[in-house]
Amino acid sequence: MDTILSALPDILSATMRMTVPLLLVAIAELFSERAGMVNIGLDGLMSGGALAGFLAGYFSGNPWVGVLAGMVAGVLINLIYAYCTIKLCVDQVVLGMAINILAPALASFFYKVAFGDSSALAQGVQMATVSIPLLSDIPVIGPALFQQTPLAYIAYLLVPLSAMFFTQYRAGLNYCAVGENPQAADTLGINVIGTKVLACVICGALSGLGGAFLTLCYTSTYADGIVAGRGFIALSAVIFGRWQSLGVLVACMLFGFCDALQIVLQVNIQGTPYQFFQMIPYMVTLIALVLFVSKHMGPAANGQPYYHE
Amino acid sequence: MSAITDKKQRESLAMRYERIFSFLAPLVAILISFVIGGIVIACLGKNPVQGYALLFSGSLGNPQKIASSLVSACPLIFTSLAAAFAYKCGVFNLGGEGQFIMGAVASVTVALTSGVEGVPGILLCILAGIIVGAVWAAISAVMKIVRGLNEMITSIMLNYVATLFMSYVYTSVLRDGANPQTPSVPDSLMLYKFPGFRIHAGVIVAVILTILVAYVLDKTSFGFKVRAVGLNPLASRVNGFPVKALIFVSFIISGAIAGMGGSIELLGKQYRLMSGFGSGFGFDGVAVALIAQLSPIGSLFVAIFFGILTTGASSMQVGIAVPTAIVEIIRALIIIFSVSGMAWLRLPKTKQFLAVLAARRDAKPARAEGAMASVAGTTGKEGARA
Repeated sequence: MDTILSALPDILSATMRMTVPLLLVAIAELFSERAGMVNIGLDGLMSGGALAGFLAGYFSGNPWVGVLAGMVAGVLINLIYAYCTIKLCVDQVVLGMAINILAPALASFFYKVAFGDSSALAQGVQMATVSIPLLSDIPVIGPALFQQTPLAYIAYLLVPLSAMFFTQYRAGLNYCAVGENPQAADTLGINVIGTKVLACVICGALSGLGGAFLTLCYTSTYADGIVAGRGFIALSAVIFGRWQSLGVLVACMLFGFCDALQIVLQVNIQGTPYQFFQMIPYMVTLIALVLFVSKHMGPAANGQPYYHE
Repeated sequence: MSAITDKKQRESLAMRYERIFSFLAPLVAILISFVIGGIVIACLGKNPVQGYALLFSGSLGNPQKIASSLVSACPLIFTSLAAAFAYKCGVFNLGGEGQFIMGAVASVTVALTSGVEGVPGILLCILAGIIVGAVWAAISAVMKIVRGLNEMITSIMLNYVATLFMSYVYTSVLRDGANPQTPSVPDSLMLYKFPGFRIHAGVIVAVILTILVAYVLDKTSFGFKVRAVGLNPLASRVNGFPVKALIFVSFIISGAIAGMGGSIELLGKQYRLMSGFGSGFGFDGVAVALIAQLSPIGSLFVAIFFGILTTGASSMQVGIAVPTAIVEIIRALIIIFSVSGMAWLRLPKTKQFLAVLAARRDAKPARAEGAMASVAGTTGKEGARA
């Protein structure tokens, strides 16, 4: 137990770090679902972003090129989803599943094309952390909160920004109207199709960014299965956070904490099989859903196709 | 009177077009996906025609290879039936992989600890797999019924838990010495193999199960109710169907099928659990079911097609050094194109177009018929006058 207490700053710092990919992707899904687009292909989008970020970073040597590539990859893959679900009205869940099969296959394929079948993992670039002056000098929480990679600051900034967008601005309210009642929104002159496409672009970019975080900030290697269901955990974070930016942040921090906790426990507690620690994030997601989710919430027209007249 | 029959005819013609197109959609999807796959291979500087020749000669070249393809299709038949059964009832079981794995874990435990041998042992192992698969699915089903939780998310979370649990089993409880894997199941519990072939009796079981599932879904009142709930839960409830119970039962049956698949894969092909067992079978099963438009018999054929691709992919990798992942890309493209094709058919615009097409084809015979009728009318009048 003592070891865990002494590991507390580590846990806090790891929590902040592990929350970032979940938060980026959960906000991506928030933007998508607010416009009525349920995207369960987040895992796939993340793996696309993870590989593109890794490759671009590896070959250019600049992590920011990787970030850009990750976002572009996410957008490109998600445009397939956008075209099929918006234009052809394919079931969103079915197409999300297809993306979950397509994107990891693409990632695995291009990794093997780039590096052959060798078992040694290629080492990519890592993004340096940036300390915020003064704030990072606060004992214990300072290094944990204010010594992060730039992507982490961006992720946390997105929370208040998206909350303001959805509640304070006409554009944001119009955006949400598309998810609540597209027919009514259309009669009010809101561009429903355009909003939905925009939602898919934002979702793809942020999911790709979340994936790129994994290969540019979390580890410096790419391996198949690196996403490990984080897309689905982010999906539950949106439900758990009741489609509010702040709620999503809390949910992601809970799941990020579990992720951090399991790593610390694995290192510090011998004897218990490590698999049980690795189960923690998934089990907590399940328990959190069972305990805190109420049945009918979220945008009213979420997941429904919109037949434009 | 004649106007009504005309309209009926036109509708049925439009419906016939729709049926033909929905049968063609997956075939066209396969064609387009192969073309795109070929372009990708060509971009790597390899010859796609040679690649595909290797793919199909490696999976269908001789009876041995066909047998391997069928064996690798076997688990997909189970997971696709599992996915189709649940989705027929309107619930999306994405946890096929977890149920498959837990079924195999149950089987290997029974096989290594019970000491029952021969056919009773095999039956006991498979029964254990079925029950544990069903229980694993029941967790998601209960969460869905009681708390209204999205069954997709819960079943996927349980996939990860199952994979980790299996890893715990083969690294700790039933570890085979220094290797991170379980010992092999006893020889007497391995499924019967056709002499000279790698094909095992589980493939036959899979085919029988497919026919059984097709019969239950299409010919029994239970199957009718399941499909009714899938098509319209509200109308089903109004008609007095126990909607929640039906969802619950079909989800559990789905899990049982997947768990049985895990048992059969273990006893027929792998014989032991190790890292990577069952990986990807759940999602691939969903893919197969979607391409087959949830038809069990269709799933059988699509699963065999997927098995052919899997087996051939390694020949292609060896032959022209194209990573096997190309096959997964082609599979994913097939789903995207076939579901898009189906959705396109259901668009109001397309329906209108098909109706117009049917009307145009109808126009000629209908006009001729009208002329005949008027002729008959005049002759009748003449007859009366006479």
